[in-house]
Amino acid sequence: HAPPRTERMAVDQDWSSVYPTAAAFKPASVPLPIRMGYPVKRGVPPPKEGNLELIKIPNFLHLTPPAIKKHCAALKDFCTEWPSALDSDEKCEQHFPIEIETVDYVSAGTSIRNPKARVVTLRVKLSNLNLDDHAKKKLIKLVGERYCKDTDILTITTDRCPLRRQNYDYAIHLLTVLYHESWKTEMWESEKTEEDMEEYIWENSCSQKNALDTLIRIKASENVSNVTKEELLASEVVKNYRNSVVALKNEGETENNMSQYKDSVKKLLNIPALP
Amino acid sequence: VSLSDEPETLYKRLSLLVKGHDKTVLDSYEYFAVLAAKELGISIEKVHRPPKKIERFTLLKSVHIYKKHRVQYEMRTHYICLELKHLTGSTAAVYLEYVQRNLPEGVAMEVKKTKIETIPEHIQKPVWDTLPQVEETQVKS
Repeated sequence: HAPPRTERMAVDQDWSSVYPTAAAFKPASVPLPIRMGYPVKRGVPPPKEGNLELIKIPNFLHLTPPAIKKHCAALKDFCTEWPSALDSDEKCEQHFPIEIETVDYVSAGTSIRNPKARVVTLRVKLSNLNLDDHAKKKLIKLVGERYCKDTDILTITTDRCPLRRQNYDYAIHLLTVLYHESWKTEMWESEKTEEDMEEYIWENSCSQKNALDTLIRIKASENVSNVTKEELLASEVVKNYRNSVVALKNEGETENNMSQYKDSVKKLLNIPALP
Repeated sequence: VSLSDEPETLYKRLSLLVKGHDKTVLDSYEYFAVLAAKELGISIEKVHRPPKKIERFTLLKSVHIYKKHRVQYEMRTHYICLELKHLTGSTAAVYLEYVQRNLPEGVAMEVKKTKIETIPEHIQKPVWDTLPQVEETQVKS
């Protein structure tokens, strides 16, 4: 019987011509002394001739580093360069604010399709859209859970169409509709009450009325000439009080906020500091 | 090599998650994918190996009765995640096709592409400012 091909192979031969594509392991074509398998008692793993374990496992003999380099050199003509002006994330964000995420699935099985492949996720930062104050608040209310306050990102995930392109068109359509609807002002929006407000506004609130009432009564009891509301509003103590109340309501109760509130109330009611 | 006129799509990040039953096969595949990316000039952000997931279940050993004798099977799935950044559409297509054609048998892959785009023109300004005055159409009875 003829000797195996390995004995006629030179050391510096071109390996990519021996294994140009993915092929099963041929022990007569691979000049390496490999042993694989569970050893017998007080023995060594079995040799490569007729070894099923070596044939079962996927081998990478067709993808040695020189072969990969040759393939990439041939493929390099089809690649294009990334624009060098967009090297950082912030620049990408500034010029291309919309991010669209799609997922592709590759696996072996009875069918190559995967139903999860049609999901499309669209992410935009609201600061990049052309929105004014009222439009932004209305959009956040319309969108509800899909907006994250900490990072200013609106996420729209579409899944309802059977094809990915249709889902992408639907996501863009949703964004357009939200944008235009938030710029419209309906008639019933003028009935917005205090509970609907996202942040606390001090002007025309109970806190302002109470503070002014108290001050006017104090001035009346001291029999000073009637000071007008505008003068009171413009005075330093009232401005301090307003800032501390707004900070408390909007940011929550922190050490700083509470001490600021305490100081401003003391100044407002002329309570002397403790000795 | 043909050139087309349509603008190149840009991918901010391409995340390849490779799943397999055998860790050594995945390691070899990772070496191949990383070398291919370097040769084609694609910047690799990071390569990390999420922990393996083992799915175990217990079945009865015999066809009929013998409830006390069971047999246990487990399926181990190892993962490798390659994150590449800043790819153009054609580079991504070339790299993905090369890497997916050489995917070994028994290994699966999920590719998450993050495309970046400009704001489309119909969202630049609200349309209500520029609509012409539409007269109320008569309601047909």
